[in-house]
Amino acid sequence: MRQHTTRFGLVLALAGLVLAGCDAGESAEDPTTAATAAGSESSASPADQGEEAAVVIGFAAEPLTLDFTTTDGAAIPEAMLVNVYEGLVKIDQDGEIVPSLASDWEVSEDGTQYTFTLVEGATFSNGDEFDAEDVKFSIERVQSDDWTISLKSAMDVVESVEVVSPTEVVVTLSEPSNDWLYRMTTRIGAMFSTDGVDDLANTPVGTGPYEVSEFVRGDRLEFERRDDYWGDAPAYDEVTFRYFDDGNSLNNALLGDDIDVVATVQAPEAMSQFEGDEYQVIEGTSQGEVVLSMNNTNPPLDDVRVRQAIRYAIDNEAVRATAWAGYGSMIGSMVPPTDPWYEDLTEMYPLDQQAATDLLEEAGATDITLDFKVPNLPYAVAAAQTVQSNLAEVGITAEIETQEFPAVWLEDVLTNHDYHMSVIAHVEPRDIGLFANPDYYFQYDSPDVQQLLAEADTGTVDEQVSKTAEAARIISEDAAAEFLFLAPNLLVANQSVTGLPENRVGEAFDLTTLSPQ
Amino acid sequence: MALQLLVRTATLVVTLVLASLMVFGFMTVLPGSAARVQLGVNATEESVAQLEAEFGLDRPLPEQYWDWVSGLPEGDFGTSYVTKATIGPQIVDRMLVTLWLVGAGMVVALVIAVPVGTMAAVRHRTSSGTVLTALSQVGIAIPSFLAGILLVSVFSVWLGWFPPGGWTPPSRGLGEFLGGLALPALALGLVQGSVLSRYVRSTVLNTQREDFMRTARSKGLLPRQAMVRHGLRNAAIPVVTVLGIQMSTLLVGAVVVEKVFVIPGLGSLLLDGVANRDLLLVQGVVMVLVVAILAVNWVVDVLYTILDPRLRAAT
Amino acid sequence: MSAAADAIDLGALREGERRGRVNWPLRIGVILVGLVVVMAAVSFVWTPWDPYFVDGSNRLAGPSPSHWMGTDRFGRDILSRLMVGARTTLYVGVVAVGLAAAIGTPFGIVMGMAPRRLGTPLVRLNDLLLAFPALLLAIMFGAVFGASTTTAMIAIGLGTVPVFARIARSGTLQVMSTEYVLAARSAGRSAPAIAVRHVLPNISSLLLVQASVSFAIAVLAEAALSFLGFGTQPPTPSWGFMLNDAYTVLQVMPLQSLWPGLAIAIAVLGFNLLGDGLRDRLDPRLAEHRS
Repeated sequence: MRQHTTRFGLVLALAGLVLAGCDAGESAEDPTTAATAAGSESSASPADQGEEAAVVIGFAAEPLTLDFTTTDGAAIPEAMLVNVYEGLVKIDQDGEIVPSLASDWEVSEDGTQYTFTLVEGATFSNGDEFDAEDVKFSIERVQSDDWTISLKSAMDVVESVEVVSPTEVVVTLSEPSNDWLYRMTTRIGAMFSTDGVDDLANTPVGTGPYEVSEFVRGDRLEFERRDDYWGDAPAYDEVTFRYFDDGNSLNNALLGDDIDVVATVQAPEAMSQFEGDEYQVIEGTSQGEVVLSMNNTNPPLDDVRVRQAIRYAIDNEAVRATAWAGYGSMIGSMVPPTDPWYEDLTEMYPLDQQAATDLLEEAGATDITLDFKVPNLPYAVAAAQTVQSNLAEVGITAEIETQEFPAVWLEDVLTNHDYHMSVIAHVEPRDIGLFANPDYYFQYDSPDVQQLLAEADTGTVDEQVSKTAEAARIISEDAAAEFLFLAPNLLVANQSVTGLPENRVGEAFDLTTLSPQ
Repeated sequence: MALQLLVRTATLVVTLVLASLMVFGFMTVLPGSAARVQLGVNATEESVAQLEAEFGLDRPLPEQYWDWVSGLPEGDFGTSYVTKATIGPQIVDRMLVTLWLVGAGMVVALVIAVPVGTMAAVRHRTSSGTVLTALSQVGIAIPSFLAGILLVSVFSVWLGWFPPGGWTPPSRGLGEFLGGLALPALALGLVQGSVLSRYVRSTVLNTQREDFMRTARSKGLLPRQAMVRHGLRNAAIPVVTVLGIQMSTLLVGAVVVEKVFVIPGLGSLLLDGVANRDLLLVQGVVMVLVVAILAVNWVVDVLYTILDPRLRAAT
Repeated sequence: MSAAADAIDLGALREGERRGRVNWPLRIGVILVGLVVVMAAVSFVWTPWDPYFVDGSNRLAGPSPSHWMGTDRFGRDILSRLMVGARTTLYVGVVAVGLAAAIGTPFGIVMGMAPRRLGTPLVRLNDLLLAFPALLLAIMFGAVFGASTTTAMIAIGLGTVPVFARIARSGTLQVMSTEYVLAARSAGRSAPAIAVRHVLPNISSLLLVQASVSFAIAVLAEAALSFLGFGTQPPTPSWGFMLNDAYTVLQVMPLQSLWPGLAIAIAVLGFNLLGDGLRDRLDPRLAEHRS
């Protein structure tokens, strides 16, 4: 992850974790939540009566700024993407890529040329019209120094952008990439106006259905519906995101009618207070794999048998129970069930203490002590304590050191690889490519996996699925990491709002699907 | 006396400069880089260095210090590297919230402490006085965050009388504002009130023995009348002192209580700032807190000089 | 800054030992502190369960014959963790107060014995240090050195130094004006000798009382810091963090926060009462002044 990282070819590998996403607290920050009508009076359908419909949604992780081009962190695209900024394409609930600012697109036979037809009449919130020049500007801007976040590397594959007409643009890739169009649904695909990028941190200018009306740091972010939005108007006139850094306060805010929706439940232990007709609980899958990462080059973890023993020794159910109160699903690999290449690998390493001790003996690692550096996020700290207890059963001493997240953890574990084990939720969508980067903090270097994933990106769609699935299996067999569980997409709301997303796909919390009951 | 006030004020200024040096010095040793946090996990060393240069973090320390400190008197705390927002207005906003909280906590503390303390002193040989004294001991032993947790579970989750957290500024409706303020102020005030009541008790006990109180009683005033007319006024002097000291306890206590009640005050700003490695912000907040504490001490000193005729004569 | 707090009459120290009245604060204080100490001591040789053993299938259980206080959200035995947590509490208190006394006392004595020209700036410096409360210091320390029990107790200790220094100074001032010190000075005794022979023994009871009160404050501070995540780190049991854990299940299992909350309250109450009782015993006049 130093300089050479950028040179490393695989787009997927780079697309890396939005770690900042993890700082959302327990839920690996992937709240997909919806809003509710303002307070309790929201039940009438406001659109009909000319009343203002409003909804207040509670989140855990607050954006540091509103500018995702220079500041990492999942909370920013969560709020801004789709709602304020739009891309040419977006992702729907089923994980399909669907039109947004591009009404249609065609891919050339060799997979390197994308011709986009743009919608007409779209405008930016500063009044500028959206056209093909903005597409060229936006894509090229990602490649320039103006973007600084590491995710920008997904745009490296673009060779040129050509404006054919105001509504038609051709993007040429240097080599075929299945992943590129998918990445265009994420923040790097957001369309900016040529004269709307002066103060992105505070004054975002996009083509989306909402604009930011107020941002009170530490408290809330308010959106107002744009009257001149080009597409279908969303149901709510006003949406407020409120930020709580504590899971209980978040729950309490819903109980106290301060908010209508908890977008990411951070205190799942207390879910029983939401039983009954007054509330709706929505549980689906997220993209946040909670990973027990291991430093594959740091002895004794450089021995595959030791890593495998660790996988056998861990009681994933107990981890899920203690870290997420039993919510979430078992994965067994770096692939959530919503990805096309998902395969159930949960039985590859069942809980088997005997197998673990045997492997450890075989490896001559019967009395080992590991540095277990854990970010100070509630779910991670909880999971770590269970892992520690599990490992103690097979004679492995894991010394937990909690580290401040993000600052200290990023530097110590992620950058300097000074660790044996850690726990973190990798919340970036389709992030299996992290295992193809030998410089990443896993330090996992498997030429097979690297080649399979490279071929998956350039091959046909079928090849992409089969090769990625095969790579996932190898990663799991090698015990490159232990995949503890997949964080749930867990929402609670009062009954005033509908259209809350069941599964969390993509980076945005899409406000357009919500409407009053 | 004027000379003395002048000396005290000059001392205050010197102290403030020293404090700013300490705060700045402390922050420069903070590990973890704001640039790295902002750039995310795959940042290259070059881009981190470049961003640090952009922030001006590669300049000599004295220059950075002067840059920072010279803006302070005008309320210019700089612009955050992390959030790109000017820090001054943020601190002012948050400070207002915290001041409301501390003020309300102080009121709660006084409302509890003065009657309880006086009562405990007047009846210090009876069982009710002993019970009050014992209760104040128990009050001190309950940390404000625990009191906050208990209050939330009883008054908002169970009874539903008050919101469990959050903040409504007074401009948005007095009722909601007071409703939101009630529990945190109670949580802060209960503990401080218990501490304060003990001081009230002891000072009232002391004054009771003073000559002028005996004189008052011998003039035929009832003990209670004597207490109200003469005792409380004289007891006020040490209580004001303690109040000053407690002001700083309250300010710091507010950090924890703000966390429990999710109140966007200085405390939560500080904790967020630390987590995000927002150096300038943390520097600013710590500086403001320290200045507030020093200023309160100064006011207490000055008040003391003015209030107590004996001290005035002595110096 | 507060002249009132400095005005302590040392002359009456020790007078009260002969008094016949029952010293309830001292008795109750000793009992409560004793309870905490015994809990901590026993935990070295025996706890009902392994305090670190996670049992995913027995989480958040209520009190039962096998788990007297129930289990936490990891299925760990609360009583066992409470006992080991007492160790953390005492450890932090002892180190923090010890540090504060070790630095603060000499500093205070120097302030008290120094000539005015040197003494006044030192007093001002001490006032400046007083403006950095322990909790604030601990948050900053936590950020610089990483949150841990060690940083928390050092920060609490350093934050308490100026408090000790002030008490020591005011005591020293009183002692310095006594006749025997004047006599010793005119006999040519050196300042260090006077400090050790006369000042220290005479202010020791004052310091002892302060130590007990500071101990209570240290216990509170550690709990608050751990609650904020700046103190003792899991899985090491500490009452503050147990409270933090319990806070996540407050609405469904209120009993969970009761236990650590009670433990904190008992310890703080115990040390406060102990301080009061000591003061009462060592100097009844002082006690009535200040309690």
